[in-house]
Amino acid sequence: MATLEIKNLHAEVADEDGETILRGVDLEVNSGEIHALMGPNGSGKSTTAKIIAGHPAYRVTDGDIILHLDEDDLADIDEDLDEEDYRWSLLELEPNERAALGIFLGFQYPAEIEGVTMTNFLRQALNAKLGERQELFEDEDEDAEEEEAGYETSPMEGPVDDGEVGVAEFQQLLKEKMELLDMDEKFARRYLNAGFSGGEKKQNEVLQAAILEPSIAVLDEIDSGLDIDRLQDVSEGINALRDEQGTGILQITHYQRILDYVEPDHVHIMLDGRIVKSGDASLASQLEDKGYDWVREEVYETA
Amino acid sequence: MSSEEHLKQTDTEARFEFKKEQKSAFQAEKGLNEETIRVISEDKDEPEWMLQRRLRALKHFQNMPMPTGWPEAPDLSEVDVDAIVPYIRPDVDVRGGVDDWRDLPDEIKDTFDKLGIPEAEKNALSGVGAQYESEIVYQNMQEQWQEKGVVFCDMDKAVQEHEEIVKEYFMTKCVPPSDNKFAALHGAIWSGGSFVYVPEDVTVNMPIQAYFRMNSEGMGQFEHTLIIAEKGSEVHYIEGCSAPKYSAFNLHSGGVEVFVKEDAHVQYSTVQNWSKNTYNLNTKRAIVEKNGRMEWISGSMGSKATMLYPASILKGRGASDNHITIAFAGKGQNIDTGAKVYHNAPETKSTIESKSISKDGGRTNYRGLVHIADGAYNSSTAVECDALMFDNESTSDTMPYMEINESRVDVAHEATVGKIGDEDIFYLQSRGLDDDDAKQMIVSGFIEPITEELPIEYAVELNRLVELEMEGSLG
Amino acid sequence: MSVQIPPTLSAETVREISEDRNEPEWLLEARLDAFEALDDVALPDVIQTPGRRWTNLEALDFENLVDPLNQSDETERVSAEGATVLSFVDALDEHEDLIKEYFGSVVPADTNYLTALSAALFTTGTFIYVPEGVDAEDVKIRAEMNSQTLFSHTLVVTEESSSATILESIESGDDVDGDRYFSNIVEVVAGENSYVQFGSLQNLNEDTYHYTLKRGDTDTYSTINWIEGNIGSRLTRSDVETTLNGDGSETKIVGAFFGHDDQHLDVNARVWHQAEHTTADLVTRGVLDDEARSVYEGVQDVGVDAWNTSSYQRENTLMLSDESEADASPKLIIHNHDTEASHSATVGQVDAEEMFYMTSRAIDPQTARNMLVEGFFVPVLEEIEVDEFRNDLEELVQARLN
Repeated sequence: MATLEIKNLHAEVADEDGETILRGVDLEVNSGEIHALMGPNGSGKSTTAKIIAGHPAYRVTDGDIILHLDEDDLADIDEDLDEEDYRWSLLELEPNERAALGIFLGFQYPAEIEGVTMTNFLRQALNAKLGERQELFEDEDEDAEEEEAGYETSPMEGPVDDGEVGVAEFQQLLKEKMELLDMDEKFARRYLNAGFSGGEKKQNEVLQAAILEPSIAVLDEIDSGLDIDRLQDVSEGINALRDEQGTGILQITHYQRILDYVEPDHVHIMLDGRIVKSGDASLASQLEDKGYDWVREEVYETA
Repeated sequence: MSSEEHLKQTDTEARFEFKKEQKSAFQAEKGLNEETIRVISEDKDEPEWMLQRRLRALKHFQNMPMPTGWPEAPDLSEVDVDAIVPYIRPDVDVRGGVDDWRDLPDEIKDTFDKLGIPEAEKNALSGVGAQYESEIVYQNMQEQWQEKGVVFCDMDKAVQEHEEIVKEYFMTKCVPPSDNKFAALHGAIWSGGSFVYVPEDVTVNMPIQAYFRMNSEGMGQFEHTLIIAEKGSEVHYIEGCSAPKYSAFNLHSGGVEVFVKEDAHVQYSTVQNWSKNTYNLNTKRAIVEKNGRMEWISGSMGSKATMLYPASILKGRGASDNHITIAFAGKGQNIDTGAKVYHNAPETKSTIESKSISKDGGRTNYRGLVHIADGAYNSSTAVECDALMFDNESTSDTMPYMEINESRVDVAHEATVGKIGDEDIFYLQSRGLDDDDAKQMIVSGFIEPITEELPIEYAVELNRLVELEMEGSLG
Repeated sequence: MSVQIPPTLSAETVREISEDRNEPEWLLEARLDAFEALDDVALPDVIQTPGRRWTNLEALDFENLVDPLNQSDETERVSAEGATVLSFVDALDEHEDLIKEYFGSVVPADTNYLTALSAALFTTGTFIYVPEGVDAEDVKIRAEMNSQTLFSHTLVVTEESSSATILESIESGDDVDGDRYFSNIVEVVAGENSYVQFGSLQNLNEDTYHYTLKRGDTDTYSTINWIEGNIGSRLTRSDVETTLNGDGSETKIVGAFFGHDDQHLDVNARVWHQAEHTTADLVTRGVLDDEARSVYEGVQDVGVDAWNTSSYQRENTLMLSDESEADASPKLIIHNHDTEASHSATVGQVDAEEMFYMTSRAIDPQTARNMLVEGFFVPVLEEIEVDEFRNDLEELVQARLN
């Protein structure tokens, strides 16, 4: 079981002005749990998500983000594991290294990349993840060997490097996951997010999570811009992540609506860069009735 | 050296580093004058008319200005023609090359083995020619094409064996030496290259490839390629170029003339990967007759400076042209490429697609000309140029020129320049790709609209070269 | 290459012009320096392709075109409240310090042979000054050229957070025998956070050779929008340019031309991005009839320090006649990768489908064509903020169509 532990996280925008956004966020997400993170615009929800994934636009000024892993999480690693292999501070890692350890960010606004097909992209991402995973747990000197490999034949003639997951195997995997999400097969041949509708992009984010099988998935407003049919497909996908892969979900949303389909175990409310209130699913409906002003009053009165 | 070691060297940036000990039968004195030209011509046993053409070209060369003074043109101040050895004939006994790889001297064979040429011949080509320094050392053509009258031989041999045709077409109608200074230089000291003749209604359905390699320091290579595609014929010619790294500069000034007769179709593909001290200054031109079709595909990856603008003269009604160019300029490189199309007849059509990438201080420039003559009605041209910039040391220029003398036409030009988006890289990284792979994926995506149109073997080579370019400077 | 100075010109001519107008010593010196510079500077650059020179400025016969001592014009100026709009001569009395500071600061006299000639010999022009916070709407300058030669120099200075919308129109007045030459230099110095729209409409008679260089320089957050309409003249060489020197500054260069007979219109739009977060939009629309010829160069130059640049360029030419000719070269010169830049250019006839649609609704072909041409200019007309200017341009287009 993996645990994502956010401790006293402070962060600002990484530019000259350095506007402070997060003022001490504390949060813990375990595998298999669904957390909803709610809050008004500008409260720091999306920033939290991006910092977990390692977005370069923000600077962490205090606190830490720790990923705790256990034997099960590392069952695929064929190495002698030390104590430090079970506890990672994410802040020291590149975004792709975080991804390799099992962190997934579902973007609010996924990038559109022309010329790169979905299939090509996802297979390469999956293989990169598998490769990087081995590397992260390897000893330093073993790394060096890897570098020297180079190509086996001339550029004109050599076989294409297939990676760990071959084309045929991958296509089968992709097909299964797409069926699960009720996605049209033609998506696989289209360019990554290019010309996708808002809803299609969101569906695609969940598909990617299904394929990369993360330990912890942070889904940033995965529910915005979805019609009701697609909302149900996406919700099913999210539930399947938890139920079938044991993924821990941190779901950022403005709306109660998706919580009707993806019932959270925990609900957190964020205000002014901190989590000010946590509770169970009922907190979300309370919020729906009373609005953020209620939280604000309650928090600042007691403070 | 074990074969395994060979392979390693071939397949990384380091493959430029292998040099062969120079051992040549003949080496012309440095410096260019009438005497040099006479020696070259005599050594090749050329007919008098060819010598006279060379001497005339030399006069043009001496009287013409360097192509400087263009806006943002590459710096050619280092190019001192007198300082290069204009002519080196490798130590091969058989003039016109051998027709079996096994007959080649080991060191030349090694070089081409590493480049994968013999493998390619077995698998996908109708014919292959390989030029080492100034002369073709290997030439072979599959029998089935020979029987149909297709000629593919080295240019020097063609002067002897197909004299009448060569005399008619060689630098007369298409690229006269008076065209530009480097065309004149080429006309004076050309050596090697290919002669391709495809008879009427013959379709050569596998590509013919020539591979050019410079191995000596301070070397100039001036191969001449003449392609004549008779009425209704079809041929695809692939040209590959490379040179190892030396401290002194190399000069490549090739000349290409293509005659696309009525209803014929010629595709000319180049993968240029000269070492980063080579000045690559070429003149390539096609004359396209009625309903003929010319396609230029150029990938410019190597060289220190490249100036290359393949031209199509659409001379017959309904003739068409398609240009595809990919330029990749890394550190210290200046890739100045483009296209020229002259619409000189009605109902002619051209499309030009250009993609350029600049990084680590590299400079790319698209320079193109579309001319539509008065009377070339119902003609159309569409030009699309896209540039991708990696960093702030690099530059990217786009300079198209359009001259439209006819109103019943459809002329469109579009260009974009942009950077690699940080958000795009982050997105890919968050999915597990490292920074280099993310950038490489974005670049492949950027050139994908072009690579998807290419013949598969060409697309694969191009992608590999792009990967090498990316690794070379990112790693 | 430098051009021979016409023998009719001498430093004495320059002194005479300056003395007639009682100019201060520094201006006389500036004129004399410009005159000296004639020996060293070349004509403006002209595009050359193999075997072709797009505009032949060398053919201008300055000896017969330039008659500096008999320049004459009739210019009407309409000011706006709070702003200064004066003839150059009058302005020297009131605002000598400002003029001294900015004259030649945007277009140095030695930019080229024609700017040097102008600085040495100009006799007319306007000085516009908009103080801090003032909104000067609908400033109008209507000039009539009554002599064989006329050199005009206009200087616009806007202070912080001010704005100005300006219309300048140029026509031919009294008839003069033979060829004529009109030179129009405009400098705009846009202060911080100020806004300038400078519209210019040229309808000179078709014996006139016309050169204009209009260049602006932006400070932080300022905007310079140009509208350049060229209808008249025998040959026009028009360069409209902005240097974006201030962070967050913007420019739009909108051009319209309509050539007929054997007119030659060489119109150019250029922008230099030199600061961060700058935006440029270059839009040119032109129509050619008869044997008219157009030449267009658009340059988007992004400097190495121009982070976060947006730069766009569109050029469309419509050819109404088979004898006309259109040459175009839109250029991108990008030295900073943090740039979003694009350009597009098209040349063609009136769309056949559109023509068919209209004629099938019983509109005769001539009217249909005219309607489509008028429609073609709409994107330019929409940019014009001075109503009178929009109406004038619309009328000139209609007049040429009928």
